[in-house]
Amino acid sequence: MRIVLDIEVRDKPGELLKILTPIANLGANIISIIHSREERVGNRIPVRFVIDVEEDKFKTLINELEKVAIIKLIDGQKKKRYVDIVVIGHVVDTDIRDTIDRINTIGLVEDLDLLMPHPDLESSATMKILIDNYKIEELFYLLDELEKEKGLFFIKTLL
Amino acid sequence: MDIIILGFGVIGRGLAKVLYNKSDYLSKNYGKFNVVGIADSSGGIYNKDGIDLLKAIEVKEKTGKITNYKDAKKMDILDLIKEDGDVVVEVTPSNLETGEPANTHIIESFKNDKHVVTANKGPLCLCFNELITTAKKYNKIFRFEASVGGAMPIINLAKETLAGNEIYSIIGILNGTTNYILTKMEEEKIDFETALKEAQELGIAETNPSQDIDGLDTAAKIVILANAIMGLNKTIKDVKIKGIRRITPEAILLANKRGYTIKLIGNVNRKKLIVEPTLIPKYSPLNVKGTLNVAMFETDLAKEVVVVGRGAGPIETSSAILSDLISIYKEIKK
Ligand SMILES: NC(=O)c1ccc[n+]([C@@H]2O[C@H](COP(=O)([O-])OP(=O)(O)OC[C@H]3O[C@@H](n4cnc5c(N)ncnc54)[C@H](OP(=O)(O)O)[C@@H]3O)[C@@H](O)[C@H]2O)c1
Repeated sequence: MRIVLDIEVRDKPGELLKILTPIANLGANIISIIHSREERVGNRIPVRFVIDVEEDKFKTLINELEKVAIIKLIDGQKKKRYVDIVVIGHVVDTDIRDTIDRINTIGLVEDLDLLMPHPDLESSATMKILIDNYKIEELFYLLDELEKEKGLFFIKTLL
Repeated sequence: MDIIILGFGVIGRGLAKVLYNKSDYLSKNYGKFNVVGIADSSGGIYNKDGIDLLKAIEVKEKTGKITNYKDAKKMDILDLIKEDGDVVVEVTPSNLETGEPANTHIIESFKNDKHVVTANKGPLCLCFNELITTAKKYNKIFRFEASVGGAMPIINLAKETLAGNEIYSIIGILNGTTNYILTKMEEEKIDFETALKEAQELGIAETNPSQDIDGLDTAAKIVILANAIMGLNKTIKDVKIKGIRRITPEAILLANKRGYTIKLIGNVNRKKLIVEPTLIPKYSPLNVKGTLNVAMFETDLAKEVVVVGRGAGPIETSSAILSDLISIYKEIKK
């Protein structure tokens, strides 16, 4: 698949090479690099990469690149976004800590709002999750799993 | 144009009323729309000179059986399909498991040289391809606007008015009962059971409401849209379905606090077919209330197109059936 990455790189010798290395190591193909020196932000320079990478290596590539640079946009989209979800069920009794921890392996639960009408009744909660755009499907998959495992009921945002 | 109506329940009688009330309008603008046959579960009646619609409705409502109508030959429903006529309107109950008896009625109609109009989801969501192929084989017209979204134009809108567009996805509220229940829960802060009971008392929800509230009805409709509009080859088994039973008033309250409402949404694109309660921004055009239906098309040329309308009701649904009948009339009189 072909992707466009907008990355900020430190303006120091050798920085670009740090980015090229993981790309090369994964056998991805660089189609073009546009360096915008005049649009410098502090001591960082925006660079746009157009890369051909095999679909199953995409996530590894992003992870590797994040270790050495800041990815601003993937295919012109903000890398991160907020996803709101509603969860209904015995939210607390089914180990809410564990639920949040597992969501946090994919995104970050930033805010939780919980209503418990009665100890015997199901409670309802909303969660605001900060997440990489490309991980949303993974998150939804996890929610399906939690649904089955803990008898919870998730309501997702329309994307 | 001679019409045979199979099924004389809410919709069959609604159509009869509409044809009666509009008969002057139809004669003036098109031609005579003559009902020559009617059937219900007691059997069929046929009169080649036309059936008196008011009398037929009265007999059905008073005695429960259309076969008690005098001035007509009584016969089996499959024999009725063999009698002379131009179009069969199939409006027996939607069976989402077998598609019968409607599937047989429709296939037999094509074989006996009749065009077909239906509001029945069963055969469409189970054996769409077979029906289309059979219609083609016998060179018959097959239209089913009323099967999705009742009066709201959706199938013909996509196929005719938006012709030339590629449709990427269709997202919408295609079930008025669930929309009514969720709207009530939101506005009156009542729980699901109470809202359902109220809907049942008003005749908006059926005594057995499962098909609606468990999402099956919406699933059948998005399958029809996937096949008829997007050219896919899906059945109801391909749909991931979640209904609205577990929604709490607290969940709606919390969603509202964040700027959302909760709707049972059917969502179809090339990759997947999903029916599930979904958070919809309050300002979204998909946030329609009460029993209204809504559908949003995402297309390559026209971009987003949204339609809103009444998804059920005898007269409303008959509007869609009538428009299909008129388009068949125009086609065969060419
Ligand atoms: N109601 C709506 O607002 C609406 C909207 C859109 C689409 N639809 C679709 O339209 C169709 C009709 O709905 P409806 O509300 O009119 O249903 P309905 O009131 O239950 O009427 C069904 C009719 O079909 C007859 N019937 C049942 N089994 C039959 C058989 N084996 N052979 C011949 N006739 C048979 C029934 O006979 P008896 O009268 O003898 O029982 C009845 O007259 C359904 O497929 C439904 O999904 C309905």
